[in-house]
Amino acid sequence: MSITPEERLNVAMTINGRRYRAGVEARKTLADFIREDAQLPGTKLGCEHGVCGSCTVLLDDLPARSCLTLAVQAEGRQIRTVESLADGQELNTLQRAFREQHGLQCGFCTAGFLMTATALLEENPAPTREDIVETVSGSLCRCTGYETIVAAIEQAAADGAEGNDDAKDGAQ
Amino acid sequence: MKKLDSHQHMTTPVIAARSVGTRVLRSEDPRLLSGRGEFIADINLPGQLHVAFVRSPVAHARIIHMDLSAIRDADGVALAWSGQDVAPLCEGLVGEMAVEGCFPTTMPLLAKDEVLYVGEPIAVVVADSRYAAEDACELIDWDFEELPAVTNADAALAGGPVANPQLSDNLGLKGGASFGNVSEAFEQADQVVQGRFYTCRVSAAPMETRGVIADYEWASKGLRLWSNTQMPHYLKYMLTAYLGFPEQGVEVITPDTGGGFGQKAHVYPEEMLLPLLAREVGRPVKWIEDRRENLIAGAHAHEQFVDIAYALDADGKITGVRTDALGDGGAYHMPPWSMAVEPWCAVVMTPTGIYDIPAAEYTYSAVATNKTPVGAYRGVGYMAGTLARECLADDAARALGMSPFEFRRHNVVRDFPWTNAQDIVYQEGSWLETINVLEKMVDYPAFLQRQSELREQGRYIGLGLSVFVESSGESTATSQEHGLGDVYHDTATVRLNPNGTANVTIGLSAQGQGLATTMAQMAADTLGINVEHVSVQTARSTSHAYGSGTIGSRGAVVAGGAVARAADVVREKVRLVAANMLEASVDDIQLTDGLASVKGVADASVSIADVATSIYFDTSSWPEDFEPSLEATQAYDPAQAMFSNGGHAILVELDPETGFVRFEKVYSVEDCGTVINPNIVEGQIRGGVLQGIGASVFEELAYDESGQILTTTFLDYGLPTMDVAPPFEIHHLETPSSHSASGVKGMGESGLIAAPAAVLNAVNDALTPFNVVLRDLPLTPQRVLKAMSGELSTAQQEATSTQGETGHA
Repeated sequence: MSITPEERLNVAMTINGRRYRAGVEARKTLADFIREDAQLPGTKLGCEHGVCGSCTVLLDDLPARSCLTLAVQAEGRQIRTVESLADGQELNTLQRAFREQHGLQCGFCTAGFLMTATALLEENPAPTREDIVETVSGSLCRCTGYETIVAAIEQAAADGAEGNDDAKDGAQ
Repeated sequence: MKKLDSHQHMTTPVIAARSVGTRVLRSEDPRLLSGRGEFIADINLPGQLHVAFVRSPVAHARIIHMDLSAIRDADGVALAWSGQDVAPLCEGLVGEMAVEGCFPTTMPLLAKDEVLYVGEPIAVVVADSRYAAEDACELIDWDFEELPAVTNADAALAGGPVANPQLSDNLGLKGGASFGNVSEAFEQADQVVQGRFYTCRVSAAPMETRGVIADYEWASKGLRLWSNTQMPHYLKYMLTAYLGFPEQGVEVITPDTGGGFGQKAHVYPEEMLLPLLAREVGRPVKWIEDRRENLIAGAHAHEQFVDIAYALDADGKITGVRTDALGDGGAYHMPPWSMAVEPWCAVVMTPTGIYDIPAAEYTYSAVATNKTPVGAYRGVGYMAGTLARECLADDAARALGMSPFEFRRHNVVRDFPWTNAQDIVYQEGSWLETINVLEKMVDYPAFLQRQSELREQGRYIGLGLSVFVESSGESTATSQEHGLGDVYHDTATVRLNPNGTANVTIGLSAQGQGLATTMAQMAADTLGINVEHVSVQTARSTSHAYGSGTIGSRGAVVAGGAVARAADVVREKVRLVAANMLEASVDDIQLTDGLASVKGVADASVSIADVATSIYFDTSSWPEDFEPSLEATQAYDPAQAMFSNGGHAILVELDPETGFVRFEKVYSVEDCGTVINPNIVEGQIRGGVLQGIGASVFEELAYDESGQILTTTFLDYGLPTMDVAPPFEIHHLETPSSHSASGVKGMGESGLIAAPAAVLNAVNDALTPFNVVLRDLPLTPQRVLKAMSGELSTAQQEATSTQGETGHA
């Protein structure tokens, strides 16, 4: 009954409010599905072994490492990626806060931080600094020294993360 | 002697700062924050195939037999090559640096006869997908005979087994020089302090790994090569020199890049192989490095031993410094920097630092080992050299019973320009002020009080100081100043559009430094227009402006100078026409805030947009003999070496239960001359310092005795995380350079350069009650615990007694 890694399976999922259906190899990662099949390259692969957090997406509103998730495991589920965050053609509250606090430099890890922070703020709109550090410490950044990322998430919380609520509503 | 400033491209215009100095938000951010950046892995060409490498699992072995037929027969495989297949096309990359005693090596694109380190590529596979290519790699059939692995630099130096047959005595580098009367300084010293410091092997570990895409079009002999390199123009030159692709048909394209930190400032075998593969299969080929490959085959960094000694007179002045650096270079010289990049830079660039030391002597060597080649990482050589110098300064302060601030103040250079013992000229600096400002920032008396109170409670805090000076704006003059003959210059193109906006192209690729924003600030102020009206294209393609590479803290200085010079040519055109339109003398026309106005005459002005429109569309606005181009390309290279300076004070607490070093706060002072954008400067400081904290405490690429690398994932190789990152307090000093555009100096490397010394000094300060001084990185919990257990204090006493014998000579 076992399935070989190369065997093709049909999978359907919703990404950023849009339905995707494809036949994929059983071994294909969700990250590769998002980047290649759904053509949403904003989700980045920094280590491919689940440590750096760059590939974090929201799987049914919870952060998940898309490099460690197989595409077929996302069958029937709701996924949100960094491409869902902007409020129309404007940056949302969280993205704006990252810009204003200089919470990114090269921008490669940023999508993972934004998605993790989005989930945090949806669950807890007024996190303490300790809450932020505890939640977001699972993502690695090599450029910023992190202080400005914490500041950006604090600012987003203070500014009210209404942009995130909009995005969430839009995705469902 | 060192006279270069007669060249035109070394002078820059004087401009009025408007946006320069302000916290302009980055123009790069909206794209990057919305997932719309385009990094190399995001680029897909029609018909592309995917590349994977087979890499050596052993450190040192002779290849007896290799058969790729099973790979070639596998599903989806288009091509597989071994070292035998590729050698006729390219023998390899020669690595050497033009310094005394550098013995070159040639690094094959794929190992042919011997493998010299774990991770060395031995075969390459091209297939329909990366999944298929990696599957096929598993089918390699090869036999090898293991050879003794050389993994220890001291053993390699002593002779014995050979790591690389091209270097029969394992020596890749050996040399030295002496300046002033060093022997006399040490003979007459009241005391000598000395120590051997070790900076462990680390990886720059940018969040984005390396990547290469090649597309060759045989009909036009055109090669397009995408690489996230820091040196696109140099790479283009190498593709022509090594592989024979016609230079005029080669384009190197650098997309958005996820950090480089020097690791991407090399020319790698993979960058040479992909074009050959693309030509062979007639389709585009793509390789994206995975993290394991990055940790085992991307350039390693730092590993070296630095022995340093100060001769101190009875007054506590340093009268001489001796430095010896021994680098563990890995299996090959990493082109183009070589094994010299760490030990040579350490001893040539750093021993006198901010101190008035009249005599200096240095020796350097690097040995080949069966490990990954060591290359550049943010502040090459400076980190180890600064660690040795600044930690020895603390040793000296302890020996003299002075505070770290007092000892430094006692020895610091106070008058500029200053020429050090090596004849290196420092034009200006705020070296003394840095010490004073840091002392005030940390409130040293209050710290001492708190430290003593906490000790009573069994808590151990420590404050470490590190003060640095670093060459910045890497240039022909900097190179000459340090005894090298490298030639650097960059160009920029500035075009003023019909509605008064500007497009700027620079020759440097960007890896996250915000160059598109800072260069827009430089152009806007020179042209007198709003920064939001300037769009900057960093070196996405070698078809545009020329650049010598984003290295050596040179971006802001060198690209900034080229932008200012090019914008100034356009500015003069605008002034000419504005003078004609306003019926005034050109000399009286000034351009600021979007207006061309007549000095001293109220209401006599025209908008720069109107002038630009007129130049494009209204010949009646033109003065006689006017040439209506509003586009200029200019080169820039600083006329003299320039040096930034600053310092860090880092506050730590040691956990006596776990040995963990907790970082409470970082105090930083930075003087990079005129600050273009404080946000960006502060971002560079925070990021660089955290990398320094990583290299001091958390990170080490570890090998076992057989040369097997043990740190191949981010689980084993620990980058600093948010929960260990300290808060910062940053103070800017501004001592403008006398010869760069706007007085800007570079500072991208200073955080990593100077932070480890502050960390080690802080830990040693905290360890004072245990009578131990540590000198090796990383300061792992095990080592700190051992130091706190008292087990190391005997060793420390031995070191002190040796020191006693040498002292009081």
